[in-house]
Amino acid sequence: MSAKTAVKSPFSPEQEKALEGWTKAYPYSNMGLVEALRSVQDWNRMISPEAAARVGEIFGLPFNRVWGVVNFFPTFTIKPTGKFRVGLCHGLSCFLKGSDKMESCLEKTLGVKKKEVTPDGKFSWEPMECLGACEQAPALQVNDRLQGAATEQLIAKLKDLK
Amino acid sequence: MTKILTKHFDEPKLHELETYKRLDGYKGLAKALTMTPADVTAEVLKSNLRGLGGAGFPTGAKWGTVPPPDKVPGPRYVVVNADESEPGCYKDRVLLTRAPHQLIEGLLIASHAIGAKESFIFVRGEYQNQYDIVEKALKEADDAGLTKTCSIKLMRGAGAYISGLDTALLETMEGKKAWPRQPPPFPTVAGLMAKPTVVNNVETLSMLPFILREGGEAFAKIGSPKNGGTVVFSVSGHVEKEGIYEVPMGSKLRDVLELAGGVRKGHKLKAVIPGGTSMPPLLEKDLDLTLDFDAIRAAGTFLGAGGMIVLDETADAVEVAHNIERFLTHESCGQCTPCREGSFWSEEILERILDGKGTAEDMPNLTRMGENITGKVICALGDTVGVIARTWQQKFPEDFKKRIPHGQAS
Repeated sequence: MSAKTAVKSPFSPEQEKALEGWTKAYPYSNMGLVEALRSVQDWNRMISPEAAARVGEIFGLPFNRVWGVVNFFPTFTIKPTGKFRVGLCHGLSCFLKGSDKMESCLEKTLGVKKKEVTPDGKFSWEPMECLGACEQAPALQVNDRLQGAATEQLIAKLKDLK
Repeated sequence: MTKILTKHFDEPKLHELETYKRLDGYKGLAKALTMTPADVTAEVLKSNLRGLGGAGFPTGAKWGTVPPPDKVPGPRYVVVNADESEPGCYKDRVLLTRAPHQLIEGLLIASHAIGAKESFIFVRGEYQNQYDIVEKALKEADDAGLTKTCSIKLMRGAGAYISGLDTALLETMEGKKAWPRQPPPFPTVAGLMAKPTVVNNVETLSMLPFILREGGEAFAKIGSPKNGGTVVFSVSGHVEKEGIYEVPMGSKLRDVLELAGGVRKGHKLKAVIPGGTSMPPLLEKDLDLTLDFDAIRAAGTFLGAGGMIVLDETADAVEVAHNIERFLTHESCGQCTPCREGSFWSEEILERILDGKGTAEDMPNLTRMGENITGKVICALGDTVGVIARTWQQKFPEDFKKRIPHGQAS
């Protein structure tokens, strides 16, 4: 794919500028790719093939090279997540402290199955691999920020997030 | 008990430069900068500091394999591995939260030792709170002119466990899938963008300020032979007081368990995973085992990254093995066939046993598969797939047999 024949960019001018910034953030442009894709995931709550292709153009990388990275890393999704992406750890320590019960609680409270998004787009939840908070088992995070040990009360409070 | 990294953890503002400096902060760096790089490396060699990210490789020896600038000119880097994701390990998260300057000082010392003018801290994406703390600390250090000798940049991962392996981490940093490289060459010769690169763990680097300030010998004296200083254990699972505990290298397993308040009340110890779920379990009879890299290896398991998970009698070995294999299946990068297929099939077989549909062949099959994976793959994740398939059934055959209806499993 030639950069010249590209379709209209799926990004706003500010977003284009931010992505270009990542090509200059480190000594070699490719070193900014994972951070750039993290930005796209934050903006769109997913990474579409069109977005990946445009990121590739900005970095001077072929589409398949970028798409491979998108599909490799669990942070990147090719389907939308909720605005608040809730992660419940099901690593061993969290499993021992009842993470499966909290999974049922999330499903009941948010009203959707794992990796599905609530109709208002606000929430999705998914089991995640070890979040590095084994002393706060079963660990719960929202958008990469640890919230503490999951309880029915903590999960009920998620609804207040804005 | 002697503490190094967590000595000042009762100071609420330890994460701020002013407080850290008041408590001897950045004195180790000042000392290092008066020494030649070779002398700094020699001091670290003398300290018997071992890589605390899991491998236990002597840190000074690792630095010693970086080719000197007159032989290989051009940039060289130090990369901090803050991609902690082994189930059971969370000490790096606490160290980043409470003592970011200790890490930055250690990184600057390491950078001086190998002649790096630019270095990186790679933080796992899920540690966004810690990323913010380190970013703030770095700004303080920049403003105070502490990073004049070597600039430091931050970078985040994207949720893959395998990125925590040094060569896979470098691939991630280069904007690629985190596929481990097959050494040689080792990263110290050809690492980030094929430049000489030292990858060190958060805890390892955080030890350096003490070593430079107090001397390598003082550090070595705290630990056991060839294992200098202290080690921080993250204890979780069925204990009374989960948390991080810093003990001298060579302490007993029993001592750490006691610090954590012992097995939760009314229950009996079944197993202790010493270093994170990739490590084979230990039993009650092993409680007097000495905790350092060499003694624990002699007992058939590993110190790993000190992620200690305690299991009481309510834990079921089949459920535990299944949980670990499920994790490994999810995290296998897919590069080596034995690991990609073996992790999946081990999980399937364990799931069948869990469902009460196990057959007499399942246990021998797990053993056979395990033997065909370990040692036949590029990285330690693959090795672990085989180790888990074999060890949990060897140590707890009863748990497996009672779930296999007509089990005459060997």
